[in-house]
Amino acid sequence: MTPGYGPPVMLPPTMWQRQPPIPRRPEEDVTTGVFRAHWLMVPFRVLAATLAFVALVGPILTSFGVAWVVMLTFAVVFGSLAYALPAWWYGSFGLREDHLVVHSGLLMRGSREIPLSRLQAVDVIRPLVGQVFGLAELRIELAGGDNSAVRLTYLSRDVAERMRVAVLAHAAGLPGRAPEAPEWPFYRLPFLLLLGALTFRVPVLLASIALAALATAGVMFTELGVLGALVPLTLGLLGSFWGPLARYTDYYASISSDGLRLRYGMFQRRMQTVPPGRVQAVRVVEPLLWRALGVARVEATVAGYAGARQGASAALLPVAPRRRAYALVNELFPESEVAYVPLVPGREGSRSLVGVDEHLFVTVSGLFCRSTEVVPMERVQALRLTAGPLARFTGRATVGVAVPPGPVRARAEGREVAEARRLVDEMIDLGRRARVTAAGPERWATRATMSRSDTPGEV
Amino acid sequence: MSPALAWYRRLIVGALCLSSGLAGVLLLFLWADRLWAAVWAVAALIVFVGGWILAGRFRRSWGYVEGPAELYLTYGVLIRQLVVVPYGRMQVVDTTADLLEQALGIATVRVRTAASTADTRVVGLPLMEAVALRDSLAARSETFSTGL
Repeated sequence: MTPGYGPPVMLPPTMWQRQPPIPRRPEEDVTTGVFRAHWLMVPFRVLAATLAFVALVGPILTSFGVAWVVMLTFAVVFGSLAYALPAWWYGSFGLREDHLVVHSGLLMRGSREIPLSRLQAVDVIRPLVGQVFGLAELRIELAGGDNSAVRLTYLSRDVAERMRVAVLAHAAGLPGRAPEAPEWPFYRLPFLLLLGALTFRVPVLLASIALAALATAGVMFTELGVLGALVPLTLGLLGSFWGPLARYTDYYASISSDGLRLRYGMFQRRMQTVPPGRVQAVRVVEPLLWRALGVARVEATVAGYAGARQGASAALLPVAPRRRAYALVNELFPESEVAYVPLVPGREGSRSLVGVDEHLFVTVSGLFCRSTEVVPMERVQALRLTAGPLARFTGRATVGVAVPPGPVRARAEGREVAEARRLVDEMIDLGRRARVTAAGPERWATRATMSRSDTPGEV
Repeated sequence: MSPALAWYRRLIVGALCLSSGLAGVLLLFLWADRLWAAVWAVAALIVFVGGWILAGRFRRSWGYVEGPAELYLTYGVLIRQLVVVPYGRMQVVDTTADLLEQALGIATVRVRTAASTADTRVVGLPLMEAVALRDSLAARSETFSTGL
């Protein structure tokens, strides 16, 4: 895979694509013509159907004799081949101007036409098996929720990469043959930092101590009953420790004019591109022990990452030094500075802070696990001032900002009622001004003013 | 809001209290003694009276204003809420009326934004008013539109 983390030299991002750049032949141009999934998908499908048949139905059929099993297996092979081959041939896709047209299905024909200027994020995913055979999945996230993503499963990796470049160029408002936007490195996560940060968390440490204590007790008293507690503890540790470790190994974030590009994964390589203006809200999470290390995690709400994939794709920086984390937030919301937003504490006894300026709404909450949530003013979907019966008795209210579903729930609790009302009035006014100046996030390259300077020196 | 909104709530609370009260009284009468049945009946009656009073207060607590660039909603008896939705953020505006609402001649205007949690509704408007509100909101969301 990618060379190690050792040398301090920032490797050029093209190292991720190992093969040297081949001069593009006209027939390799992805902006015209019809494409389909890699032909290897046909034997894979046939193999999967056959294996499922042999594993599920085979044991029942053995009572009729081996000849029947062999015959029926052959029937399944040819039957699935007869379905998979035309399904593969007719499941095609291609670019038409700046729309992506996807045809699918054999018995139920479907075709979708996707206006690429509306896309929210583009991911290229290569599972372990896919890496062996040089296959990749191209996933285009749209704002319509869980089922609206377009998944082009298992193209040849070369086609997937070039399709991603063309799709992003169209979304930016450039011609599809435009070369990939240049990028500059933002952050490479050292493996030791990831390992240390994942270990250095209160739940993980407590679970490890409990595990060690139980194991020693089990060995000393040769008691088998501890296994009942050991198994769930080990599984939980694996889930919260091994999962993120394998997922975020070799993490590399870079910034281009097409937005943020993330590459990561040990067994499943992923490459995410989040174009500018697609991030609806951001939060910087600092668990108790991480504050001692000075590291934080950055998660974002992107309209496309809804539903089950939300938790998996929402992390923009799994572990990063605090300054890098805030640098990323400033990069995502240009023309504004989170650190300069004046924060006002709530009534004594409540730990939450809140602050607004003309670009950002910022709340800080959490006693042990501090989380700083940032919502840009022009992305606020609705404002909500809430006072429950108890809160009204004590003269408090909650100011909430509605954002699309995601990790961020920007709420400032325990404000004085009068102050909360003033805050809402101020935000109505600020939001109105922010929305007037904000250009829509579509076709970002065609806008006259690029908000970010394109010189690597300033990052 | 139309007074029919209070009647809508009262009818629902009444139907619920009546059905659960009757069923509870019957069951308790058969399996336990009369005392428990009477207690159940009194409890249902108290809930019904409470619901009746709250329905009136709930109707009076409702209010909406079409501001220059936002829609303001305020509602809630126990939990007071003020919701501000900018016109430019509205994605879908629809008017719905269930069977009881149709019988009472009222309708609900529902406004959806990209944040699916912010389910904002204007309930209990007379039908014509609801249709007019929906049309004006839809027209304004078009004028103020700024994308997602």
